[in-house]
Amino acid sequence: MPASRFTQTGNYRTKYQQDQTIFATYSEQLSLIVLIGLLLLLPLILPKTMLRDVNMIMIYAVAVIGLNITTGYTGLINIGQAAFMGVGAYATALAATRLNLPFFLAIPIGGLAGALVGTFVGLPSLRLKYLYLAVATLAFQIIFEWGVGHTPLLAQGGAISLPQVQVFGVKATFFNHNFVWYYLILPVLVVMGLLWRNVLRTKHGRSLIAVRDNDRAAAAMGINPGTAKIMAFMIGSFYAGIAGGLFAYFQKAVVIEDYGLHISIQLLAMAIVGGLGSLPGSFLGPLFIVTLDRLVGNGSQWLGTQNLFPAGVDVATALRPLSFGLAIVLFLMFEPRGLANWWRLSRLYFKKWPYKF
Amino acid sequence: MELLPQLLIAGVVIGSVYALAALGFVLIYKSSRVINFAHGQIIATGAFIAFALTQRGVNFWLAGLIAMLATFLLGMLIERVFLRRMVGQPIIAVIMVTIGLSSVIDGLIHLTPYGAGTFAFERPALLTGQGIELFGLPLSKTQIAGVLMALGLLGGFTYFFNKSTLGITMRAVADDQMAAMSVGTSVERVFALAWAAAGLTAAAAGVILGLMSGLTLGGLAGIGLKVFPVVILGGLDSVVGAIVGGMLIGILENLSAGYLDGIVPGGGTREVFPFIILIIVLLIRPYGLFGTKEIERV
Repeated sequence: MPASRFTQTGNYRTKYQQDQTIFATYSEQLSLIVLIGLLLLLPLILPKTMLRDVNMIMIYAVAVIGLNITTGYTGLINIGQAAFMGVGAYATALAATRLNLPFFLAIPIGGLAGALVGTFVGLPSLRLKYLYLAVATLAFQIIFEWGVGHTPLLAQGGAISLPQVQVFGVKATFFNHNFVWYYLILPVLVVMGLLWRNVLRTKHGRSLIAVRDNDRAAAAMGINPGTAKIMAFMIGSFYAGIAGGLFAYFQKAVVIEDYGLHISIQLLAMAIVGGLGSLPGSFLGPLFIVTLDRLVGNGSQWLGTQNLFPAGVDVATALRPLSFGLAIVLFLMFEPRGLANWWRLSRLYFKKWPYKF
Repeated sequence: MELLPQLLIAGVVIGSVYALAALGFVLIYKSSRVINFAHGQIIATGAFIAFALTQRGVNFWLAGLIAMLATFLLGMLIERVFLRRMVGQPIIAVIMVTIGLSSVIDGLIHLTPYGAGTFAFERPALLTGQGIELFGLPLSKTQIAGVLMALGLLGGFTYFFNKSTLGITMRAVADDQMAAMSVGTSVERVFALAWAAAGLTAAAAGVILGLMSGLTLGGLAGIGLKVFPVVILGGLDSVVGAIVGGMLIGILENLSAGYLDGIVPGGGTREVFPFIILIIVLLIRPYGLFGTKEIERV
């Protein structure tokens, strides 16, 4: 063990067991506990209007972890993550409204439905690579949207409203909806994050990374690339399904617009801006994109009142895609490793302080 | 039963636009292995430039030419500024850059007065008046001219690739970049040229589509998605494949609209049928009808 378990002064590990710990020092454990503690207190401090955005960020973070599993860790480009979210959302909605299941059963059913469909959609990955797979998932996204729009059982893409939930005697109402759901989403996000962090350390998680880096080499080392790819799709779409179920309850209704192609692209952008193949990035990406979207929305409302643009131009609908696209392009050109890299660098800086290297 | 020939003709009309759009897509993929998700937006840009010029009183044909020139330069600019840095980056990064660009162009078009509305070209004198009737299907002069223009451009590019030195150079780069470089070909110039040529055909496709069915941002940019079934069916890196794929998808989607809409609740199979074909093609013959076989089984 290190000379001190409070600060890291070097690598003193002598056993594999020590090497496999997630948190090398007490201070790292402590910082996570403090972070979660602060997150628990957050809704008490934050204005109510911002709480809604925080909830959105957390739900998208669950979906982006899933997308990172398929795209970031395994290298299978997936332009259909929102459709998997949609599968989860509709399964949850059906479970809640037709079978009258409580939310803590309905949401896992959404996750399982997502995983099932994801495995099926992932089957082409046995033969296809790279952009062919990207196009296959894109086709699934479009077929999903069309399919929902033509199914009477799913209200043809219209709204299916979900019942309000009751937790520990507290009934979620119009007034405390965001508040209640904050405390329901946060534990799910923490559990899903820790879960993936631990799966990543097993041979299954490692095999995904091996397949991404070089699938033929991985095959030579005894990993079955096909199994790994299918598994990546299964886990990734399970996360999407859970996120979809949460989103359905959080929005109080399921509408097809929430699971369209542009959301898939937004999720991809979140994964890239956060940093592909990194867990902290899966949280930073949604934070960045949702915040950017809100800032641009507010900014363009102000701009719209300044009479700078000709009549008939909706400034918000123009600046939103513009800033969103610019964010993707600039990140890819100048910081392809995403915000996670900044996070890593700043952590290193504090670790090494007062030395530079 | 007059339905079948009518559907076939309608399919060929729209298919020629798809083929033209797919041609630009294939040009880029063939030379630089870049999947261009922003192609639909370039098509829209070309169409709206032409429309804006005709609004200012410029002759329709001249406006079309200027629009093609503008997107020619736009394509070159996009390659120079954004794509040149992405050489050697992972495929996901290249794909995402074009997705980001499509979003940027979308925003820029929304900044002009043409973002939200529906517009129509004022038909030039040559294209007004009575069209002809084929198997009971009235074809306007616009549609005939559109098909002829598309076929002309497609034929021109096929000829260009097979006969001209520059076209052969581009094929050489597509075939083997290293080898092409070692015999003194400027690969960078070829990439820029491919993007420029793609821009040119995109504007043509946009103007033709605008003439046939009006100008909306959503409709024009949506062609960028329709391109995927076309090029997967025809083969991602084949010019002939783009033409055949475009016609086939155009015909098949009209057939599905004609025969399946009655069976499927709600109809509208036209939008989804090409993508079902796409999946089937991917499973059976991923490299398409004319594409290079480079898929490996894992």
